[in-house]
Amino acid sequence: MIRAAVALAAALLAGFIAFPIAGLIFHQSPAAFVVALQAPSAQAALRLSLLTTLCSLALTVGLGTPLAYILARRVFPGRALVDALVDLPIVVPPAVAGLALLLAFGRAGTLGPALHALGINLSFTTAAVVLAQTFVASPFFVRAARSGFATVDQTLEAASATLGMGPLRTFALVTIPLAAPALTGGIVLCWARALGEFGATIMFAGNLSGVSQTLPLAVYLDLEGGDVAGATALSVVLIAVSLAVVAGIRSVERR
Amino acid sequence: MRRISFVAALLCLSLLSPLPGKADPSSLTVFAAASLREAFEAAAADFTKKTGIAVKFSFAGSDTLEQQISQGAPADVFASANLTQMKKAADAGLLGSEPQLFARNRLVLIEPKTNPGGVNAVADLAKAGVKVVLAAPTVPVGGYARSAFKKLNGTAGYAADFSDAVERNVVSNELDVKAVASKISLGEGDAGVVYTTDVTPLVATSTRSIAFPPESQPDAEYPIATVKATTNAPGAQAFVTFVLHEGQPYLRARGFLAP
Repeated sequence: MIRAAVALAAALLAGFIAFPIAGLIFHQSPAAFVVALQAPSAQAALRLSLLTTLCSLALTVGLGTPLAYILARRVFPGRALVDALVDLPIVVPPAVAGLALLLAFGRAGTLGPALHALGINLSFTTAAVVLAQTFVASPFFVRAARSGFATVDQTLEAASATLGMGPLRTFALVTIPLAAPALTGGIVLCWARALGEFGATIMFAGNLSGVSQTLPLAVYLDLEGGDVAGATALSVVLIAVSLAVVAGIRSVERR
Repeated sequence: MRRISFVAALLCLSLLSPLPGKADPSSLTVFAAASLREAFEAAAADFTKKTGIAVKFSFAGSDTLEQQISQGAPADVFASANLTQMKKAADAGLLGSEPQLFARNRLVLIEPKTNPGGVNAVADLAKAGVKVVLAAPTVPVGGYARSAFKKLNGTAGYAADFSDAVERNVVSNELDVKAVASKISLGEGDAGVVYTTDVTPLVATSTRSIAFPPESQPDAEYPIATVKATTNAPGAQAFVTFVLHEGQPYLRARGFLAP
């Protein structure tokens, strides 16, 4: 009786997720799918999403790795605050994130005049897309990397130091490989979240094909214009990518 | 634990009740173009006082609303900012009554009070480097703005390719007219095209308006109709009638013109 109830509940949720996705995939013939993907705006959105997510990922890994390491290893005043702050974008609604970015870095924002003096104008640019993605997606990497670094056995790092390796070599050859599964998982999640970014992007970067219209925005705009075929084709691409990402995490976790 | 899941299940079930299939004569859901927000909210308060029927609104770009209704969203009334979206709904057999015009609107160019783009006339939109924010072409106001620019092509003071030059300056295609107004209010864009009715007292504190040449003004006509799938046909019809008659002063007060 209980076994049956458990099985039913499990099947209900799995089916609830699988059913709409199957509907999206089988909405149209493969031929129509290929045609829709060849539309110039679809191509531009694919290229832009690939470019911006790789940039935001590079930014996150480059700046997030030291941050995660410090949060995992060092004790300093205000650490709990920084720790909480780093996670904040996960729970902040994306539209709020977009507004915050606009008020901080927009032309009329707090730093707007200073940036303008440096010849930098972020509003409505591809750079704004990257910043929006970094803002909402970086916590996924930092969280994972922080717990990865925290679980590394520090006696191994000490042993490496006694064998004459400097701190940088120890970090690169001992700490990173030991934390690798956590880091990889964080990278994948961070990239996936950046790929799906919508609210902060349209708020901060606007919506222009080739400049700020990423895949999720293109899906929305296609649907607005009544182009259901285009919208489903791009959606299937996003789903295929997400599926590959999830499978990637699973295989890393098993190792 | 069991009690918590029981309560949670009850809560979830209660969420289902306002969905279609359960007729409620004391409430109504109106899908209305984003530009109608202030006028309709004021009119609805009066409507509720007179009829006892509570009105819930979903404001968005008319194209979004039409899409949602065609996908079965629980709307009782549809008020569109152009005839195109209403005709789409009518052709798809989604309407319960003949669409009737209840208001007209005019376009206006707005820019931040600080005038960052040096825009002093509609013709300045073609100057290189001006950041123009429009609604997407599928949103009524985005379509109207583009047809107004085309009408100006080659007229006195405008180049033959004026509309193309403006299109090249577009930095964002926003999802509805209110988003255009907010991007200009926030000072992000140099100029944007909205309806005169979107220049609310609040928007006017941070923006300056520039009129379009009268000959370029499109007929921005607003039709309203009941939705066929409504579960409250008498209430929906009462709201449509109210908008066509007693509700007119509220529209006029917000700058809408008589149909």
